[in-house]
Amino acid sequence: MQQTEKGLEQVSVTQKKSRNMKKYLIHLFILPSLLLYSMFQVYPIISALMNSFYSFQGFARDTFIGLDNFKMLFTQSPFKETFYNALHHNWIYFVVTFFSKIVVSFLLALLIHSKIKGKEFFKTVFFLPRMLSIIVVGYLFSLILNPTSGALNSFLDLVGLGSLAQPWLGSTTTALYTIILVDSWNSIGFSMLIFLAALQGVDKEIYEAAKIDGAKIVTQILKITIPMVMPAIMIVTILTFISSFETFELIYALQGSTGGPFYSTDVLGTYFYRLIFGSIEGGQSIGLGSAVVVVLFLIIASVSALSLILFRKKDFER
Amino acid sequence: MKKHFSLLLICFLSVSIFLMGCATVNVNNQENTSNNNQTNDQGNVESEEQVELVMYSWRAEDREAYEVFIEKFESIHPNIRVKFEPFQSTEYNTILNNALVSGTGPDIVQLRPYQGAASVADSDYLVPLEGVPGLDEINEDFLDAAKGSDGKVYGVPLALNAGVIFFNKDIFEEHHLEVPETWGEFLEVSDKLNAAGVVPIAQSGRAAYVLSLVHGVIAPPAYNGNEFVEEILAGSADLKDARFVESVNRMKQLEQYFPKDFIALDDQDAQRMFYSEQAAMYINGSYRLETFESNIPDMNLGVIPSLAEEKGGNAPVTTWVDGSYGVVKNTKHQEEALLFMEFLASQEFGQLFADELNRLGAINGVNPSHPIVNEIAAAVEKESTPYLLLVHFGDGSPTTKTVFEDHLQGMYLGELSPQEVIEEAQKNADRASE
Repeated sequence: MQQTEKGLEQVSVTQKKSRNMKKYLIHLFILPSLLLYSMFQVYPIISALMNSFYSFQGFARDTFIGLDNFKMLFTQSPFKETFYNALHHNWIYFVVTFFSKIVVSFLLALLIHSKIKGKEFFKTVFFLPRMLSIIVVGYLFSLILNPTSGALNSFLDLVGLGSLAQPWLGSTTTALYTIILVDSWNSIGFSMLIFLAALQGVDKEIYEAAKIDGAKIVTQILKITIPMVMPAIMIVTILTFISSFETFELIYALQGSTGGPFYSTDVLGTYFYRLIFGSIEGGQSIGLGSAVVVVLFLIIASVSALSLILFRKKDFER
Repeated sequence: MKKHFSLLLICFLSVSIFLMGCATVNVNNQENTSNNNQTNDQGNVESEEQVELVMYSWRAEDREAYEVFIEKFESIHPNIRVKFEPFQSTEYNTILNNALVSGTGPDIVQLRPYQGAASVADSDYLVPLEGVPGLDEINEDFLDAAKGSDGKVYGVPLALNAGVIFFNKDIFEEHHLEVPETWGEFLEVSDKLNAAGVVPIAQSGRAAYVLSLVHGVIAPPAYNGNEFVEEILAGSADLKDARFVESVNRMKQLEQYFPKDFIALDDQDAQRMFYSEQAAMYINGSYRLETFESNIPDMNLGVIPSLAEEKGGNAPVTTWVDGSYGVVKNTKHQEEALLFMEFLASQEFGQLFADELNRLGAINGVNPSHPIVNEIAAAVEKESTPYLLLVHFGDGSPTTKTVFEDHLQGMYLGELSPQEVIEEAQKNADRASE
């Protein structure tokens, strides 16, 4: 009997060992992606952080200057003006894209979720722009928005609205909003799909009960739909915030790295690019550019962390 | 049992991959050894071994001409192959910086002039070119464009650019216009073209650098050319000087002759306006001649190399060195790359360059075959003045030139006055010199 128990114990010890081994082996499988992640995500961040504490001679690190690059960025002309101007544009970008990516795409999702004909067709149409590379989008819209030969102004002329024709990308008042609209056109389908998935997850019985209680459509949306899809709204809001502060490609494709005309489309991404790589003639400042990256990283990381805390709190409350 | 089998399989695979790796290394080592032996056995064969030099450039549009240059060089040095790798001009700095920093770069690189070359040289990425035959024959002013802060030359200057006004002779004839020689005549001609419904100047402003380039062309008569440049260099004048203010006022004055919404146009739009004869004149560097020759060979093209303040007065042509070629310090083929530098500094190359690209070369004693290039060369020989903002205001981050042209954009958008443009540029120049 004792022998049988010993035997059983031995079997369970062997099983445990084998389970532990399996556990460790599983960890080995994440090594390749961890390596890639460290190389392309962690290393650049640490490298930028280190660079932000140094002055540079051309591309070569010179002397350790502590927080001087940050001090220069926040307090010294013309860096502070350009920095705050770019940061302001990032905020505008977020506020406007919040409206388009959250409000408009939520309404589109509601519309598609309702019993309209050709649901799949509209879903595809709204999502299609997302399939295009941002550089292709930039090139296409640089042609469409050209003030002399562009399709948009020609169309406005054709339909008798010539007075509305504008140099869309050549005016300080319209350039940034034009770019944001192009960006929204490109990415609205993605947020719409997230909302659509969330809407499909809402139990139909709740609506039926509300209808019996006499709730109208607007009340149903405000009291049932929005609270039920709130996690999706939160996710899209955070993604919109991150993409608004990381924005670079479309502005670069349409206006170049100068954030023109006259810094009216300059954002932290383009400012960082100019500081790191300079203009054609030179004038790069890698230390300062790295300081911009660190500030950008801190903004995005702190908002992401805050949102994670909020999410967890909400989950806990449930 | 299954788990044990999986573990055994993973171990087996890992050992196999490791052994395969070792085997590959061994094979490579064996190959290298046999190659070396072969070279050693054959003595002088080592010098006959083919060497490939990789050359970075931002002149993708000159690929055909470079093939001719390289063919010529390879016929002189049959054991060297040169691989020309051009990139888009606007992306070039980024690509070059990344290549140099990562140490995976080319053997020969094209360098931006003045501060652009200095910043690469100061970062210790280049080989000083002292002693390269032919270099001492090149004009000292041109060599300044390829020097580091230590005063050593790091590049062979290639082309000399002149800021000029191109014009369509047929449009001028059609409207009975004389070619302007002075600033006053230039305005008169522009007024007449405006009245005739022709856009006087095909101008863009989306990329701000073209605005400072136009300033470089029209400003010298306003600030009295080299006299003002010398005062700037001596420190007895600055950008707030009344003569420089006048030059920026003239830029503002030109606005009425530019196309509508020109700040939203890019240079290619402006070129298209000129090609399609919607505009009569186009201001840019002499390098555009080659573009016109390829795109509009039938246009009856004329050139105004410079304007004088008064009839018969001095008309200095704005010039600057376009770029140079240098040798990367960590190249494995420094000797061969230096031979290429020697070729670039030779008169043979200078003539080839002028003939193939219809451009002014930096090598002395070259006779350009194209009549317009010849006309510009003759005017440059008579009197030239440096492109002030590029040559002497390339310091700082951002450079004063960048601040100036970005603020010129602001001026055309009604955000700034000419005085404010100058104040900002001078502030940046002061900061850069600190």
